[in-house]
Amino acid sequence: MAHLITDSCNGCGACLRMCPTGAIRGVRKSLHVIDPPLCIDCGACGRVCPVEAVRDESGSLCPKMKYAEWLEPVFDPGICTPCRICVDTCPVNCLDIGEPLAGAEPRAYPFLRDPKRCIGCSLCSKDCPVDAISMRPRGSRAERAA
Amino acid sequence: MTFASMGKILNVDLSTGEIRPEAIPDGICRKYLTGTGLAAWLLHERIPAGADPLGPDNILGFVAGLLTATPSYFTGRWSAVGKSPLTGAWGDANCGGSLAPAIKRNGFDGIFFRGASGAPVYLYVKNGRAELRDASRLWGKDTVEAEGMLLAEHGAGARAAVIGPAGERLSLISGISNDRGRMAARSGLGAVMGSKRLKAVVLDGKLRVPVHDAAAMKRLSRSCNRWVQFQPPFLSGRAMAYLGALMRILPTQMALDGMLYKIFLRKWGTTSMNQMSVEMGDAPVMNWKGSSADWGMSRSASFNPDNIKAVETAKYHCYACPLGCGGICIPKPGGGETHKPEYETVLALGGQCMNADLDSIFHMNEMLNRAGMDSISAGGTVSFAMECWERGILTKADTDGLELTWGNSAAMAALLEKMIRREGIGDILADGVRKAAERIGRGSGQYAMHAGGQELPMHDGRNDPGFAVHYSVEPTPGRHTLGAQMYYEMFRLWKRVRRLPKPAPFYFKGSKYRADEEKAVAAAACSRYMALANGAGLCLFGLFLGASRIPVFEWLNAATGWNRTPEDYLAAGERIQTLKQAFNVKHGIDPRANRVCDRAAGIPAQKEGANARRAVAIAKMMSDYWRQFGWDPETGVPPVEDRRSGR
Repeated sequence: MAHLITDSCNGCGACLRMCPTGAIRGVRKSLHVIDPPLCIDCGACGRVCPVEAVRDESGSLCPKMKYAEWLEPVFDPGICTPCRICVDTCPVNCLDIGEPLAGAEPRAYPFLRDPKRCIGCSLCSKDCPVDAISMRPRGSRAERAA
Repeated sequence: MTFASMGKILNVDLSTGEIRPEAIPDGICRKYLTGTGLAAWLLHERIPAGADPLGPDNILGFVAGLLTATPSYFTGRWSAVGKSPLTGAWGDANCGGSLAPAIKRNGFDGIFFRGASGAPVYLYVKNGRAELRDASRLWGKDTVEAEGMLLAEHGAGARAAVIGPAGERLSLISGISNDRGRMAARSGLGAVMGSKRLKAVVLDGKLRVPVHDAAAMKRLSRSCNRWVQFQPPFLSGRAMAYLGALMRILPTQMALDGMLYKIFLRKWGTTSMNQMSVEMGDAPVMNWKGSSADWGMSRSASFNPDNIKAVETAKYHCYACPLGCGGICIPKPGGGETHKPEYETVLALGGQCMNADLDSIFHMNEMLNRAGMDSISAGGTVSFAMECWERGILTKADTDGLELTWGNSAAMAALLEKMIRREGIGDILADGVRKAAERIGRGSGQYAMHAGGQELPMHDGRNDPGFAVHYSVEPTPGRHTLGAQMYYEMFRLWKRVRRLPKPAPFYFKGSKYRADEEKAVAAAACSRYMALANGAGLCLFGLFLGASRIPVFEWLNAATGWNRTPEDYLAAGERIQTLKQAFNVKHGIDPRANRVCDRAAGIPAQKEGANARRAVAIAKMMSDYWRQFGWDPETGVPPVEDRRSGR
């Protein structure tokens, strides 16, 4: 399945700049097109489209989201194995393996290295075999800090 | 819709520069899976009989398994495939790290190179778009340096497989490296890459692998992970050595449960077995002529796994691995990082050469990783040279002044340098023991420990005759990752396939040497299972958990939407195995000639040590094995109709 851009596209190019696999083609002020084999259903195009012209893999229109509403991953090292599937799966390479924990078993766990690059796609959480990653709105990060 | 497979391969002709994606024909994936199964079908079809392994007609493939990049565990192994220049037979080598998913995330189950480039090149693929680029600035660089340059240029998402100077100089014991020294080492496929002037393959892909039932796969993975995480505090490294000594002394042994080995692996990695293996008679000593009587616990003490763990600064997990047997070490305070040497490397350059200097092992391991040379074959070649020295076949005049006395670690390191550079004696040895013995002559052939040209790994068939059988009968001879009696015990396949025999919980050691029907059934089951595993991209160490704990068959069904039984899957494994054997027959390999060398089969038997007076009825065991596949029991050749269709 893949996302689809409808006729309401105004050709602003926001989706094209956001797409992590280069699946979107189009020139400014004209209808943009998603190449289905390259689309990974990350939904980033839909979240940034100012005119809500993107339909997701199930055919629903994607609502535009404020940046603070985008989701970002939170890791539970108590559950994480750590198998690195999430680091590999992240389409924008914003995850990394951290410094190993001190102790007899110096295992290193994944973390969100580059929050600004995260597109809130949830693919890391979706692929984690042990559900060690939950997704929370990034706005809540400031709240957590407070 | 196909699930789990990407349905496509990428063909690259290095002579013309043509890059062409190709759909995989219907039915191939069902018949052979992907990974080495797909590769066996493709290479059998497309490499012309008698092709020069280092010529343009050979095809070099990089393949990922059917389960790779799905929500399954232990599925991060990619394989290099091609006609082996070392054995002349089917060649494959698999490797972990993080490369495997990058093949599928570019939309391909495999990337296949034919032809040869005039100038050094590398292939760069980004989300399925591929191009050849100039690699002249990388040529001559070691694997770590070259990989570092490529990743710095192509960003955090890129993964690279590279050859080092050994592959560039067509050493027949060279491999292909990724993740700073993880090595697809065996079969000499680094030389095939070098002959094509292909320095590297750089993959940056983020495409999704379609799976039929991701939720079911994750449920299965979680139940598997519970076994992996079960880790009671266990023995010290020293106690492991004593356990090995006890196993040597007792006349009986128990059927091995792989959970025990899993616990060792998670704590120490493969080096857990360093001393234990020597003590119990599993690790060959002094070019296979010695034993623990020559290299006892006090001499192997420096290789105690606790010593290696003491300098391990981080555990290393390959992609999709919850176990993490690897490690990053800083052996000298303030020094650089290096991968923890594997058991095979420690023993190949340690006990096999009577070398007890752990620092030298770290040094030579890193040297070989950077050169892109197989540490098992390199160690075997050095120990061969040392025995030639001991017997006066090689003298100072031949060795450029090096004194190749047993355990002379400085001379070993110097010799390896020469092999990597192909200087003097190094040029004679750089292609492994079979070629070296041909070049040296003077009766040295009997001291070359190999099967079909492949240097032997560090598991002694005189201790577990299953190793001797698999070294001899596999289409890739001389390999320890395909089967053994102890592997059969750990695989616990009888839990899933009722017709397979269940070993007795305790047995007299002498029974291991009885060449009966049950041994052949077990050996064939190992081969079928491993052929399947290498088609799925699975790691051997995951399979050691036992078939009732690692849901291989259920993962495959959930990933693909098929509804096949374990028997159906083992039949696919048999098809792959037959196809590889057919490949060998097509290329003029006589399966009988792959028989492991006499000394490694206990002919004549050793006089002391754990394996004293043990001989393997290797000819009968080979014949019995071939019969299990319906191949000619005298010659090992599959019937003509099977060779055509691969069944």
